[in-house]
Amino acid sequence: MRRTPAAARAVLPVTLPAVLVAVLVAGLGAGCATSGTPETGQADANAPAAITWWSTGGDDESAAFQKAADLYTKSHPNVTIKVQTLSWDDAYAKLLAASTSRSGPDVISGGMTWTIQFGLRGGMVDLRKYGVEQLRAQAQPAQWKSAVSPDGTVYGIPLDMSTEALYYRTDLLEKAGIKEPPATWDELTADIGKLKDSGVKTPFGIDWGNLDWIGYFNFLYQAGGSFYTPDCKPSLGTPEAERALSFWIDLHRRYGAPTDTVTTSDALDAGTAMVYGGNWNALGIDTSKPKLKGRWAVAPLPAGPAGPTTFIGGRAVGVTSYSKHIQQAADFVKYLYTDEAVDAVNAEAKARNVAYIPPRPDKVAGSPFQPQHSEVFAKIISTGAAAPGCPGWDESAGDVAKHLQSAILGKADIKTALSEAAKVMERNAG
Amino acid sequence: MATPAAVSRHRWRRHGTSYLMLLPFLALFAGFLVWPLANSLYLSFTKFDGVTAPQFAGLENFRRLLFDDDRFRHALGNTFLYVVASVGIGTLLSLGLALAFSGPGWPHRVMRTVFFLPSVTSSIALMLLWKWIFNPGDFGLANTVVGWFGGRAVEWLATPGLTIPILVLMSVWGGMGYGMVLYVAGLGSIPQEYYEAARIDGATPWQQFRRVTLPLLRPVTTYVVVTGLIGAFQVFEAVYIVFRGTNNIGGVLDSGLMIVPYLYDQGFTHFKLGYASAIAWVLFLIIFALSMVNLRIGRALKEL
Repeated sequence: MRRTPAAARAVLPVTLPAVLVAVLVAGLGAGCATSGTPETGQADANAPAAITWWSTGGDDESAAFQKAADLYTKSHPNVTIKVQTLSWDDAYAKLLAASTSRSGPDVISGGMTWTIQFGLRGGMVDLRKYGVEQLRAQAQPAQWKSAVSPDGTVYGIPLDMSTEALYYRTDLLEKAGIKEPPATWDELTADIGKLKDSGVKTPFGIDWGNLDWIGYFNFLYQAGGSFYTPDCKPSLGTPEAERALSFWIDLHRRYGAPTDTVTTSDALDAGTAMVYGGNWNALGIDTSKPKLKGRWAVAPLPAGPAGPTTFIGGRAVGVTSYSKHIQQAADFVKYLYTDEAVDAVNAEAKARNVAYIPPRPDKVAGSPFQPQHSEVFAKIISTGAAAPGCPGWDESAGDVAKHLQSAILGKADIKTALSEAAKVMERNAG
Repeated sequence: MATPAAVSRHRWRRHGTSYLMLLPFLALFAGFLVWPLANSLYLSFTKFDGVTAPQFAGLENFRRLLFDDDRFRHALGNTFLYVVASVGIGTLLSLGLALAFSGPGWPHRVMRTVFFLPSVTSSIALMLLWKWIFNPGDFGLANTVVGWFGGRAVEWLATPGLTIPILVLMSVWGGMGYGMVLYVAGLGSIPQEYYEAARIDGATPWQQFRRVTLPLLRPVTTYVVVTGLIGAFQVFEAVYIVFRGTNNIGGVLDSGLMIVPYLYDQGFTHFKLGYASAIAWVLFLIIFALSMVNLRIGRALKEL
């Protein structure tokens, strides 16, 4: 019942949502792109080119990428690049509007699958034509694969990585007589028991992906399962998928992991002994919770029956098909994988205290984290797996999460939840 | 007898300047409201992903929306529940507050200001505050209070059964001050003579309230309820900020999924702009119909 005092709202009740949608498509009259549109008329390749890069994330990240851009201008005086920030909340809509009106940035970066989605709609350039394949060897294989469109087209390449780790309170583990952080599922549950016995109220919690598909992803792959078969058929009907879900449910129901999500630093501060959290948390804990300094550490997630596989996320970067400087923009995107560029971004991220893991596993050591943390992240990434790049996955992810939630909350049994989730994936795959 | 031409010439001479003055507004109004609205109506009959040209699909969006979209039905059910609870409770409390604090003295004025404050505060800031209050674990304010009374920490935002009550609580708390101010104005416009006459006739305070105050506040009540309905049907920030997960716009098990967040989800995370437009127009029709019914009831009661 919170009201905008503007009585105008009463006149046209739905103006807000309708206008929201309508404003976006205001570019309609200007003619529309169709799939596989020929690229926009190109400017002369030798003339000065001003390239704009819309980077989804924070201002500090943009500033780090700008460093690489300025280095590029040094060696290519004809090309200037300006990095502009889009916030996660409205980046998608803005990029969509740019795609629709076929005017906007030359380079975009955002969610791992965005470049594929825009690409399938004719808004991106196939970077294979510009020799991007040579970068593949430098990237994390699973992540590279997830940036490639199902038909093999490369509309975007990984720009950075994010992953999940086990954060734990060294003092609490010590008090419970635990010398090493848990390395397997069994050790994890055993340690939860020990911590409980030593008086810890909440021994374990999940931050990133709690009650969401990302949380399940880790257990699923650690159990040896996957969301899809290699040829993109939903594969949640396996014993591995059931085992993973039942373990995840146990963690909540038998071992007391909160269903309500608490951020890693808050949880550690409130006395949770072990938390699954995103790598970016490692940078903020000492500053936001100075009391915890020296009392926490990071380890890889405990391995499941099939191994330690952990989720890798990140952003992709690509070149728009409506750019007038595709050649230069594509060359710059490739440049982002050079030692020079990665080191520059790493250094600036460090200076600004931005959580950034470069897309090249060999360069993780130089990332802004403390050396002992970078080392753990590098280890996690070496066995990382990325989100399924199968058709319809993006559409299904939210609904799949709902079905998993119903199993955790006891509203559905494991088999039913998984088969319902698979049905959603089936339906959206077509 | 002036000819029609002469009349219109005369009218133009008399009001020409006014029409000219209206032009800038009309241009903006047409460009930024009428045209987009017409456009969204057109889009609601198409399949449109925002990039490729819209394909005409007739009534397909509406058919799917009304007959085989479980999530939409769920959102609709949630929204109705939320609207009834928040408008009902909110209106009652607004009236209660107005009766309690309608006096001219400064203590009343202070109280009125206190209750009105949420209406002028940024809703985003308020939502973040609520999110902090319902934080799980031991450091959320709500759980701290529960702890004082020896209760166990509640997982406020991850318990499906609590989602709508929490949303209703937030909206009633945020909106009742606004309703109160309207009611205070309404109370001020009731002539004191009516009450004197009622008292002389031996009416108890309750009878005065039932027979004098309530009937005379009817226009205010209609306004409060209609604007409340319109606002509540379009609830968005609360759901989006307080209950948003990584991949998941309606809270745990969609327990807080409402129409506008669902529209946003379809339009801006799934690229289904035609479908999202259809949702917007269905929402418009629902609100329009309900507002009409409300106004009718208001008028019918007046004629009693």
